[in-house]
Amino acid sequence: MSGIGNDRQFRDALNGLSIEQQRAVGALFVENVSGLSQDPRVDAALAAARDVGLSEDALNLARRSIKAAALEAHTRCGADGEWIDQAGYFVARAAEACVEPGGRSQGKGPAWKAAMSARMARTCLAADSDEDSHDTESQAQYQILTSYLDA
Amino acid sequence: MSAPSVEKGIQSIKGQIDAPVASFFSACVHCGLCADACLFYTETGDPKYTPINKVEPMRRIWEREYTLFGKAKAALGLLKEVDEETFAEWETLVYDGCSLCGRCSLVCPVGNDISGMIRKIREGFAAAGHAPEGLIGASTRAVEIGSPMGVKLPAVKAQIKHLRKNTGLDVPIDVKGAEYLVLLSSMEIMNFPEYLEAIARIMHQAGKTWTIASKAFEATNSGVQIGVSDIAKLLVSRVVDAADELGVKTVISPECGHAFTAIRWDGANLIGRPYGFEVKHILEVLDEFVSRGLIKTEGMEDAKLTYHDPCQIARKGGVVQQPRNLLNKIASNFVEMEDAGEMNWCCGGGGGVSANERADELKLTVFNRKKAQLQALGVDTLVTACANCRLTLEEGLEENEMDIPIVGLTEMLAEYLVEDDKEGA
Amino acid sequence: MDANELLAWARGPGFDIALIVFVAGMLLRILEILALGKKPDLSPPRGSGPKGGIQTIFTRMLPRKAVFDKEPLRIINGYVLHIGFFIVLFLYGPHIVLFESFLGFGWPALPSGMIDAVGAVTIISLIVALVFRLNNKVLRFLTTKDDYIAWAVTLLPLLTGYMAYNHLIASYTMMLALHLLSVELLLVVAPFSKLTHMFSFAMARWYQGYQAGRRGVES
Repeated sequence: MSGIGNDRQFRDALNGLSIEQQRAVGALFVENVSGLSQDPRVDAALAAARDVGLSEDALNLARRSIKAAALEAHTRCGADGEWIDQAGYFVARAAEACVEPGGRSQGKGPAWKAAMSARMARTCLAADSDEDSHDTESQAQYQILTSYLDA
Repeated sequence: MSAPSVEKGIQSIKGQIDAPVASFFSACVHCGLCADACLFYTETGDPKYTPINKVEPMRRIWEREYTLFGKAKAALGLLKEVDEETFAEWETLVYDGCSLCGRCSLVCPVGNDISGMIRKIREGFAAAGHAPEGLIGASTRAVEIGSPMGVKLPAVKAQIKHLRKNTGLDVPIDVKGAEYLVLLSSMEIMNFPEYLEAIARIMHQAGKTWTIASKAFEATNSGVQIGVSDIAKLLVSRVVDAADELGVKTVISPECGHAFTAIRWDGANLIGRPYGFEVKHILEVLDEFVSRGLIKTEGMEDAKLTYHDPCQIARKGGVVQQPRNLLNKIASNFVEMEDAGEMNWCCGGGGGVSANERADELKLTVFNRKKAQLQALGVDTLVTACANCRLTLEEGLEENEMDIPIVGLTEMLAEYLVEDDKEGA
Repeated sequence: MDANELLAWARGPGFDIALIVFVAGMLLRILEILALGKKPDLSPPRGSGPKGGIQTIFTRMLPRKAVFDKEPLRIINGYVLHIGFFIVLFLYGPHIVLFESFLGFGWPALPSGMIDAVGAVTIISLIVALVFRLNNKVLRFLTTKDDYIAWAVTLLPLLTGYMAYNHLIASYTMMLALHLLSVELLLVVAPFSKLTHMFSFAMARWYQGYQAGRRGVES
């Protein structure tokens, strides 16, 4: 597959994947930012996302666990928000997207959602500074997807 | 703000009593029906949460100060005092046990606006030093930093960059003469950045000029929640000044309940003069765009879904039909819960409750009301239009192991938006 | 004092005093409310305040389904109590004659037998209301001495009136005297109790309805 250079191509390529493939590639996106979260439930969710033979029950358990992680990580209304911690929230959300049930997309596939949340996690780091780290994340994701498709 | 004291608290409450309040206390016949409408009573069974009881300290002050008979009774030592103990005892009723949802006001047979009185009494509690810590923190941050959650402009700019990469669309900042000034709530900026993206795409499609203000991007008004009008006024003034300076026609309030109440209904009274611009809720604007054909939607969500009416927007704000118009365009299986519309039940987290850590357990308990509504319906998705409701509902659903995803209406509309061909990046 | 003297006093000075206290007292209560004033609302309205105010005075007469479903019996009892009281007060021949002497005009009466029955039903509904007040958790929490006093002064005229009409307990003259005295008691107590709601309910509904009308919300 020729290089993916923009989000239109990125999204189109993702939409062509099956749900299992989307989960797998989504997990790759999340791994790229997983350093921004210290919650072990993230890794557990990614493991579940990669496990194609996982039972529905086990998947549900993983889903609940990562959902709880995301909720816990969010900044409560009116609280002093720390963007570093908020990055963890978006990592959890990205991981959550990887294990969400099929057909719940509302137009967005799980891999795309994972990618967006992962980028948002990276953006959180830029929130307190002026760095433009976002660009690097999307480029990294194009790279990850290209490698995955070529494999 | 100078040091709080019981005396200040009493004077503050006294100052809040006007003719309507006096008529309410005079008309109350202790029928107790307000309790049946209040989720803090229905889900705890504790009569102390009866709405009219929450303003008992105000009633005592009214009787003593503003009725001849009450003055006579006070002189004879027949009236209960309002003192430090009173404030301490009532603090959790006035803050933790009330989301200012306003359901009580709608059912009172004699017409009392009880929730309006609870909002007023908070002024006294704050002045007496009896406001919850979380709210004090949020208000302080709002005043000093510009956002109750400490969100600063660089953070917003970072998100704008993120948005530009994803959609190719820009978020204009400080554009003079733009038609719309868009406000954001910190909750959305931090937890639901999809909102800003949706706005950008919709505005672009509608061909409308818009902007955010670097000096006043925050919509959340912590002053209204804690009940300190001075703070509320200061926060509103920032928006008003920015709107005036940029010469916008309409200010758009985001998917945050109390932000709308603050800017739409309280604002002019806080600053003491009418605005030179209109204020609309984002749902009103979207409904307008759709009905005027400025934006079109394509496709429908076929999951069975329902809509949770945020109290400040529906019951207190009058925006009830618009979300339904929008949902009917993009959802083929939209069902209404019982008591939908003006009489919908609060999520339990409004009015500062979700910012108050001490109220966490109570908030989860009263969620049972919403839980009952949802269980009776059996839906796959829940749609709402307030970031605070959204998180409160998520927490409640998670606590009760109910797997129902929640989505914001603006975000959902953007999903089905017919967009001109645009490149990804 | 024998029954005739009591009745003469009750019909004469007693009634005058009670009426003056009632009118002056109620006027005072209403003025105490109005004197506090209300700041004008500077936000642009969506609808009409006055329209909302007037409408709400009437729409609040009926309960919302959501609340009715929670306590149907208690709510229905409240209607019986009020409607019964008004029927007895305003549609009983001798009462109308009294009103006519003040207003200069009267109106048709209902048959006395019917009034008697309505009176009995109203007395029962008052007792039922008391039972509710003593048994309902929220009501027990809210109730004060004032609620019991208001209840008693409302019951007495109905009870004594019923007894007078049916020639119960004492002589007609005595019962009538007691009836008038109980009415006078009600008139004198009313401005200093929650019975002020007979006037302030309209004010409360107006004020809330006004704001609701401006905001375009139902009330």
